[in-house]
Order: sequence, then structure tokens, then C-alpha cells
Amino acid sequence: MTASNEAQELKDRLSLIETMIAEGRRTTISWGWIFVFWGVAYYVAILWTAVYHWPWAWLVTMMSAWSLCWAIIRRKRQNQSERRPWTTSGRAISSIWLAMGVSMSLLLSALGFSGRFNWHIFVAIVAAMLGFANGASGMLLRWKAQIATAFAWWAASVAACFGSDDQCMVVFVVVIFLCQIVFGGYGMLWEARLRKQQGANHA
Amino acid sequence: MPELPELNPVIHGKLRLALLSLLTGVEEAEFTWLRAKTGSTDGNLGAQLAKLEEAGYVSVEKKFVQRKPQTLYRLTESGRQALTAYVQALKQLLGGVIG
Repeated sequence: MTASNEAQELKDRLSLIETMIAEGRRTTISWGWIFVFWGVAYYVAILWTAVYHWPWAWLVTMMSAWSLCWAIIRRKRQNQSERRPWTTSGRAISSIWLAMGVSMSLLLSALGFSGRFNWHIFVAIVAAMLGFANGASGMLLRWKAQIATAFAWWAASVAACFGSDDQCMVVFVVVIFLCQIVFGGYGMLWEARLRKQQGANHA
Repeated sequence: MPELPELNPVIHGKLRLALLSLLTGVEEAEFTWLRAKTGSTDGNLGAQLAKLEEAGYVSVEKKFVQRKPQTLYRLTESGRQALTAYVQALKQLLGGVIG
């Protein structure tokens, strides 16, 4: 075997290691639709509250959204031919979102039941918590687009502490559109492009 | 120039190298996932995983989930160290070949 053949053989080994490590880490669940889904759920709850003034609208919408989201994820996993394994970063990110969801549900429900609920506090808490989860995920993934959404949520959280109820609601509706619908849509496009690329690589 | 046999022979097989590399990125992986990622046959994959298990580079857990058998593979600490040493040796060899 010549020196150049040996060098090529060694390079192929290194390349195989790099490809396989990247392949193993490419196991995060598809998440773009989850952002869009929750954005729509927030809009449903806002609209329901604004039109019918029903105090349970948020709680009922969020509980229904939780159940539906869980059912869809379960169904998607069952339909996969081979189950994707957990990566360390995947587990860390999922844990952050799950813990945030539980904290938000408990706190907002308690505020509602105690009668100490108002729109400014509600939007400030929701925006701050979503800013926290997006910020932590973005930093873990070193993903600037998600860190940018965290800044948008934090800005909305601060803005919610000032101004009128109507202004507060406008801020909330706009930030949901940017950080859930637009960001989620961008994620779905990115995932579709990645799947296409993977398909081309495997072909 | 250093010769290739200095590289760890257990890891040097392409499929075994691919398996160890795949397992570095995940906590644990099912047999079916490893098969899909490597495009290997059941028999070959099982044989190579058995060699890695024998060397102590992967650990195996067999269980039943919803009455279906499931085999999970995990990279052990010595497997991680062996792969790191292998990569370092490769880089040294490559430096020698290029140099």
C-alpha cells in the first residue's frame, strides 16, 4: 500500500467517525410544529377570553392543548420504524420545557383561583418564562435565532409591566406571532430542508 | 512511518468504529436504530456488537416494552476512552503519513 493510499484510508476512518457522531446527535424530535401549535393555542385562548369573557378559557385551552400535543408526540413516536434515542442535550432541553410548563401551569392556575390574576401579571409571567426556556435552549444549542426569540419574550415581559391593558394585549399578540408562529414556521422549513438533505445523502 | 496495526484492532473494523461513534452521541440506542443508521444486516450487526461487548466497550440491556423485546446498547467508559485513544492514534499516524 502506498503512502497516499494509507493516508486516504486513515482520512476515511476519521471522516467515518465524524459522520457517525453527527448522525447520532441528529436525533432531536421535530419541534417546529410544536411552536406553531402552542402559538395557535394561545390565540384561541386569547380570543375565547376576549369574546366570551369566560374565566376558565385559558385553563381549558391549555389543558386541551397539553393533551393534544402529548397525543400527537406519542403517535409520531409510535409511527417511527425505529425509536430515536435520547441525546444528553435533547434530554436537557426537554427537561427545561417540561419544568417550565409545569411551573407556568401551577402558578397561573393558583393566581386565577386566588383572584389575584390580572392581564399585566399574566403576560409578564408567561413572557418571562418563555424567555427563560427559549434562552436556555438557544444557549445549549448555540442557536442565535432561538436566543433572539428569548430576547423578544423578555422585552415583552418588561413591556407588560407598563401601559394599558390593551397595549399589554397587543404586545402579547405580536410577540406570540413572532416567537411562536414565525419561529416555528422557520423551524418547520429548516427541518424539511434537513430531511431532504438526509434523503439525498442516504440515496 | 508507523504501521496501521498499531491501531486498536477491536475498533479498527469499519462497522465497529461506526457503532462506537454513533453511541458517543446518545445515552443509549436500540438495536433497530443502530441497524438503520449503519445499514447493516441483523447478523453482521449482532456479531460486531457482541465483539464490542466482549471487549467491554458497550453494555447491553435486554427488556420487554409492551410485550415486545427491546435490546439497548450503551457506550461504556472504557469504550469512550478506547475511541478517544484510537482517534488520537489516527491523527498521529496521519501526521506521520502527511509529514
